[in-house]
Amino acid sequence: MNVDWILSNYGVLLPEAVLTLFAFAILLIGLKYRSVLGYLAFVGAVVSLGLVIMNFSVNATLLYNSLVFDPLSQFFKVVFLLVTLLTIIASIRYYHGNVHQGEYYFLLLIATVGMMFVASANDLVSLFVAFELGSIATYVLAAFDKDNPRSIEAGFKYFMIGALSSAILLLGMSLLYGITGTTNFTALSQMSFEMSGYTLAALVLIIAGLGFKMALVPFHMWAPDTYQGAPTVVSAMLAAGSKKMGFVAAFKLIILALIALRTEWYMVFAIISVITMTYGNLVALTQRSLKRMLAYSSIAQAGYIAMAFVVVSHTNVDSVVNLAMGGALFYILSHAFMKGGAFLAVGAVGYMLLRDRIKVDVEEDDIDNFAGLSKTAPITAFSLAVFLFALAGIPLTAGFVSKLLIFSSAIYGGLAWLAVIAILNSALSLFYYARVVKVMYWDKPKFVLKGEPTAYVVAVLLALLGTVLLGVYPGPFVDVAMKVAEVFL
Amino acid sequence: MIPVMYVLALAMTVFAIGVFGMVSARSGIRMMMSIELMLNSANINLVAFSNYHDDPSGQVFALFSIALAAAEAVVGFAILLMIFRHRGAINVDTINMLRW
Repeated sequence: MNVDWILSNYGVLLPEAVLTLFAFAILLIGLKYRSVLGYLAFVGAVVSLGLVIMNFSVNATLLYNSLVFDPLSQFFKVVFLLVTLLTIIASIRYYHGNVHQGEYYFLLLIATVGMMFVASANDLVSLFVAFELGSIATYVLAAFDKDNPRSIEAGFKYFMIGALSSAILLLGMSLLYGITGTTNFTALSQMSFEMSGYTLAALVLIIAGLGFKMALVPFHMWAPDTYQGAPTVVSAMLAAGSKKMGFVAAFKLIILALIALRTEWYMVFAIISVITMTYGNLVALTQRSLKRMLAYSSIAQAGYIAMAFVVVSHTNVDSVVNLAMGGALFYILSHAFMKGGAFLAVGAVGYMLLRDRIKVDVEEDDIDNFAGLSKTAPITAFSLAVFLFALAGIPLTAGFVSKLLIFSSAIYGGLAWLAVIAILNSALSLFYYARVVKVMYWDKPKFVLKGEPTAYVVAVLLALLGTVLLGVYPGPFVDVAMKVAEVFL
Repeated sequence: MIPVMYVLALAMTVFAIGVFGMVSARSGIRMMMSIELMLNSANINLVAFSNYHDDPSGQVFALFSIALAAAEAVVGFAILLMIFRHRGAINVDTINMLRW
């Protein structure tokens, strides 16, 4: 038992180990030195990200095949770590001087570790444990501003719905275990199921349990309330990171393990996907709170990503499956930048209002506060405009490429009707995104802001770089996503 | 030995009670109790199936999920405590600041 032996066998766990070590170190150091914690968390996330990227094309299983390390898991770990990095950078400013900083960064890093383990899980047990680790930490984060009743209410609603969904998911998993007698995904994927009421019940419960986390309609009720009430840096993390945890769990559990049942879930996902994107876009039209609007747009985006499930269950052609899953993965990467950046830009405005002690008679994220932002905070306004156009799918942004990939996979897969509905929805969504841009660039400013906070600007610009890079030069990234998606063939 | 169907029927009854409690409860504590019931019904299932398949992994799963339910309850009660400090009540009808 020496260091070499541990490294050669458990070396793939290094990114998670580093992040956990940093998390506990932050908790200890936070007792005395508070000003360094944000930077420490930043260093931890960067080191972990570097280790994941170095080991990108790894192929290993650990602990009796209950954890698997393949390009799929590494891809999702990169997404989670990027989102965490953006959140940490903005939090350095937002939580500057807060006495509970240590706990904040600890929970942020631990939530990321949980999400990373979900990406690696290859067993019902490890999936559930990691899923709960990622969820429980984010319940606390959503309620972190404990003097703000809105934040607590957001945390309460998120907790109640989240706990309910994990109970439903656990019941579904227990039924699945009862039917098959195994908890391992590899064994499950080779199983042939005979159709019975139990199989159907297990499938429905699992889809419902994971659907809550992915915020698919009709399991979305918590998302707008939570994203609106939670601290904006945490909303960015929830929308851009935590939601992807639901997606990777669903990819693993439903597409990889339960592919034998795909004729059963085809119709379920077709209906859910169409309702989700339509409902999200329609309700977003009437929102005045920008955070709430972004939450509904996030629901709509989940509907687009869920199209991948429909395509995969409908077709047998390898190239189409690859295109659909590659498109979904690329969408998840670009959505992390677009949505994370948009929430952080909205958060920057809220922060500036608070800092400059500007009294407004509406909520801090109300659309009125964004009037004339292009004059008072040009960088934030420009970035927010780009993020919103990217979310709508305007060419030269990441959103366009991801929509192109996933919509074309639907057409190749013989689901032209689905693609048409999705394209109509994108056109609809442009209305509410463009309204914000119009308010920012053509309306008159109501107050003067004293400069933009550096930390927020850095985070927003990094997200902007990602959004534009994935849009202007998507080639290599699409190749990576396609390569990763070969796991699903 | 008790047939597995009986245990399954018990678990489903407990789950249904949990769902009913979740829907009808007006107090945050009662909602937490209902969630615990739902989690425990799944645990009954896991242990029963583990016995039925003669495979220990179901019992391991149940042990893990009991520990997780405890962790979840801690966070839930902490959040309820903060709600009580702000409002002096944990009636869920009054938690309605955020809505469309």
